[in-house]
Amino acid sequence: MDASITTLPFPEVVGEGTRARTRVDHKTSEEAALVRRVQAQDEMAFREVVERYQSKVFSIIFGILRNRNDAEDIAQQVFAKVYFSIKNFDFRSSLLTWIYKITVNECYDYLRKKRVRKLVYESDFSQEDAQRMEASDPAVDTSVPADTRLAQRDLILKLLSKVSAEERSLILLKEVEGHSVQELAGMTGLNENTIKVKLFRTRQKLLRAAGRLTRTS
Amino acid sequence: MHREIRDHIEDVLRGGDTLQAAREHLAQCDECRSEVLGMQEQMELIRELRAPEDFAADLRPNFYARVMERIEAEGPISIWNLFIESAFGRRIAVASLALALLIGVYVVTSERSAEDAAIALQSPQLSTEQIIVAGEDAPAREITRVDQSQTDQSSEDAVLANLVTYREQ
Repeated sequence: MDASITTLPFPEVVGEGTRARTRVDHKTSEEAALVRRVQAQDEMAFREVVERYQSKVFSIIFGILRNRNDAEDIAQQVFAKVYFSIKNFDFRSSLLTWIYKITVNECYDYLRKKRVRKLVYESDFSQEDAQRMEASDPAVDTSVPADTRLAQRDLILKLLSKVSAEERSLILLKEVEGHSVQELAGMTGLNENTIKVKLFRTRQKLLRAAGRLTRTS
Repeated sequence: MHREIRDHIEDVLRGGDTLQAAREHLAQCDECRSEVLGMQEQMELIRELRAPEDFAADLRPNFYARVMERIEAEGPISIWNLFIESAFGRRIAVASLALALLIGVYVVTSERSAEDAAIALQSPQLSTEQIIVAGEDAPAREITRVDQSQTDQSSEDAVLANLVTYREQ
C-alpha cells in the first residue's frame, strides 16, 4: 500500500449543517454541572460519578483483559485517576469519553507491566473462565475453539498497542461500544470528517502492523 | 486504497447502503477489495473485546468505599511519585547514589593522602627521602627501594659480625 495515500486529506464530505447538528456543548449539560461539583471537591458528586460509570468501566476492563481478579483493582485505579485529574477536565469531550480513555490506558499500562502479553491469557484466563464466558455471552461464537479465540484476542491487543492512545480509544468506541461516526463526533467534540479520517488512519495502521507481525513470525 | 472507497470506508465496512460507485469499484479493484477485507477481519477481532452483557452484575458491593480507601492511601500525585514508581526514575536514583558513592570515596582517599603528607612533614624520624616519598609518588618508590636495599645490607653485615665474634669467643 502506498504510504503517501494515508497522508492525503479527506474531501469535505460533511457540510456546516451536519457539523452543527453533531456538535454537543459539553459545558452546559447536566453532566457538566456534576463535573463542576466534583472539581469543587464535592464528595457526593464524585460518588455519583463512580456509581454512574462503575459498571461501564468494569465491562470495558473485563472486555479487554478477561481477568476478573484484576478488573476491580484496575477500576479502582481508574476512579482514583479520575478523582486526581478531574480538575484538568476541559469539557471538550463528554465525561464518559474521558473516563473511557483513562480506562483503556490503564488496561494497557497493566498489560505493559505484565511484560508477558502473550502469556497473560494463558496464566490468568482459565478454561473455567472461558466456559463461563461462553455460557454467559450469547455473542460468543462457540464454533471457534477457545484457544484460537484467545490467540486472536492476544493478536488484536498487540496490534492496538501499535497505535496512539487516542486512536485506540476511538476505534474501541466505534467497534466495541458500537457508536456511529455522528455519535463519536458528539462525544469527542470533533467534527465527523475528522473522526472519519482518524478512524481510517487507525485502520490502516492496524493493517500495516498486522502485515509486519505476519512477516516477522 | 482508492478515493472511491476511502471516502466512504465506514459505510463500506458497515456493509449497509454502500454507494453504487463504491460497489462497482470494489468489484473490479483487487487492491481495494483485499484492504477492505483485511479491515473487516480486524473489525470482527476488535469486537471480540466486548464484555458479556451481564458482567456488571458480578460487581462486589461497596465499590465506592474501596475507591475512597485507595484515594486516601495514594494521596495526591507528586513529582516524587515519578521517581519512586517508574522504572526510569528508579534507575536515575540508583545511578545518582552510585555517583555520590564514587565522589565520596574519591574525596576520602584524597584527604587521607594529604593527611599522610602532613604527618610525614611533621615527623623528625623520617629522612628527607622518605618525606619526598610521602608527597610524590613516582620518585618516592625508587628512593624507598634504594633505602630498603641499604638497610638490608647493613643488617646482613651486623649478623655476620656477630657470628664472627661468636666464633672468636
